[in-house]
Amino acid sequence: MSSLLDTFGVLSVFFWNAPVLVVLVLWITACLTALLPSKGTWLPGGFALAAHFLALILTGYLAWAVLSYGEIRYALGGWLAPWGIEFLVTRLSVFMLITIFSVSTLIVIYSLADLPHDIETHLLGGYYTLYLLLVGSLAGLCVTNDLFNMFVLMEVAAIGACGIIAVKGGPECTEASLKYMILSCLGTAGILLATALLYKLTGHLNIDYIAAGMGTAVVRYPINSMVALALFSVGFIVKAALFPLHVWLPDAHSSAPSPSSAVLSGLVIKVYAVLYLRILVHVYTPAVFKIVPVNELILILASISIIVGSLYAMAQTDIKRMLAYSSIAQIGYVFLGIGLMHPTGLTGGLLHIFNHAMMKSMLFLSAGAVIYCTGIRSIKDMKGIGLQMPLAMSAFTVGAMAMVGIPATNGFISKLYLAMGTLEAGRPVYLGVILMSSLLNGIYYLPIAIGAFFGQQDPESWPANRGDCKRLPLSMALPLIILAVGCLFFGIFPRHMLVLIEGTVATIFP
Amino acid sequence: MMLLLNALYNNVFYFASVVLFVIGFYTMLVRSNLIKKLIGLNIMETGVFLLFVSLGYVEGGMPPIVDHANDVVYVNPLPTALILTGIVVAVSVTAFSLALCVKLYRYYGTLDADEIMQLRSAPK
Repeated sequence: MSSLLDTFGVLSVFFWNAPVLVVLVLWITACLTALLPSKGTWLPGGFALAAHFLALILTGYLAWAVLSYGEIRYALGGWLAPWGIEFLVTRLSVFMLITIFSVSTLIVIYSLADLPHDIETHLLGGYYTLYLLLVGSLAGLCVTNDLFNMFVLMEVAAIGACGIIAVKGGPECTEASLKYMILSCLGTAGILLATALLYKLTGHLNIDYIAAGMGTAVVRYPINSMVALALFSVGFIVKAALFPLHVWLPDAHSSAPSPSSAVLSGLVIKVYAVLYLRILVHVYTPAVFKIVPVNELILILASISIIVGSLYAMAQTDIKRMLAYSSIAQIGYVFLGIGLMHPTGLTGGLLHIFNHAMMKSMLFLSAGAVIYCTGIRSIKDMKGIGLQMPLAMSAFTVGAMAMVGIPATNGFISKLYLAMGTLEAGRPVYLGVILMSSLLNGIYYLPIAIGAFFGQQDPESWPANRGDCKRLPLSMALPLIILAVGCLFFGIFPRHMLVLIEGTVATIFP
Repeated sequence: MMLLLNALYNNVFYFASVVLFVIGFYTMLVRSNLIKKLIGLNIMETGVFLLFVSLGYVEGGMPPIVDHANDVVYVNPLPTALILTGIVVAVSVTAFSLALCVKLYRYYGTLDADEIMQLRSAPK
């Protein structure tokens, strides 16, 4: 009996500290993974997978607690809010945590078989260390309520992200990683300067306390608060790779190993978009747009990003490079939803975070599966490949249809909400942008899918004879199947995710 | 003019840190040598750290060690504690970037960003 009580005691401590454990589980496992002997190939991946399952359980608990009892505040180390660091779990955090961990778990399962083929075996432990650091800090960014803590987590995430690009070695990866590091540091330095300015204005680092002081600060010190807003905007736009500052993304996302590309394109850039949204609506209230129309600026940049990203993607010959440019276009949708500052538009933008995380990871993973089995990276060599690799190319086709926004895929739902948002906000011009971009997406995604199944294979371009195609391992096939089914499921039953998003949107637009 | 000088004198930390930030930013964007870019990055971060630390300074303030005296003015220790973390972060980021620079030098034999661009586009 007493041992049963002890078990309950341990469990209750586990769940009581869930907001911080959801980060620490991954970071502690990262430290353990670094200590593992460099011989075994499956051990680091197994550790990473176990950590992800624990984090999923904690996320499930947090989702249940937030939905039934409202937001959770957690003071780190017992130091209460104005001085200590505070974690705040809201519906938005829960939504992001679910997105991060569900997609990331599938990517880890995929990487178990794919990575040993892509990077050297003795680097596997290091790879999963960096990967877990990255995913842990992304989770931390979604729950933290303290600006300085946010800066530290962003730098940890930057090192993790650059590490999992550079791990492959070779000049391209190293150069892409360094470029990403320098631009990302530029962004975080700007964000830190903005944090210092806000600290000077309000005397606090906690977002809620800053928000309380910002009302008077904006009136008394307009220049300081606007400079801070400008620095935040530049910093987050660099990190989220919106149009004029996207230059680091194509190299970084295309040269990395496939699981890294999937996590970088699917999750990392989205988190910064959400943080920017929090800065805009929680620190600066929407009233600030009457003084400086930041949302207009975001709308324009997002539209250029959507169109230019698609146009660049059409010109690419390398499949992963094309997917990377497509990410620039898709992050534009998220910012379009933020910039509209209208409930329906924002719902579409936030929903697109989840949907795009699923479909872009799936596209990168299926491209990775093709590279794993045949070594083909060039788009024109992919004709007729669907007959050799029916599963990978079916997943790619589902992803391509979701990107275009064909009904019954999840991309349709988020684009529908965005389109209705543009009309309800009285901005039909941006509806034109969405429609045009869907057309462009169709032009560069669908020919690959059609060509893969019905195209005539060019015998010259095939690396060796047709029998050379490796079999796709089960651990790589399973994530593709789950993601493809997920894309269709959330296209037909979007209700489950919308509950969380509409709760968030209702707090922003009461 | 006097007004401007007075404002400058009163906000000397503020101006110094902004000047450092801009010097670092300029170095980072204009110099093609990768090491100089990283030095620029460090100057930029130092500027921000200076601003942060100066925020905690109180004229005539004592070190915040409480000794039960009531009429003592203390300096604010929080920014100093934060910047300690910030410096650690900056060091690790710099170390990581320098490691990447070493690898790039092994691949290309140069640390000049423009030359690397030329080398990359030339052979193909």
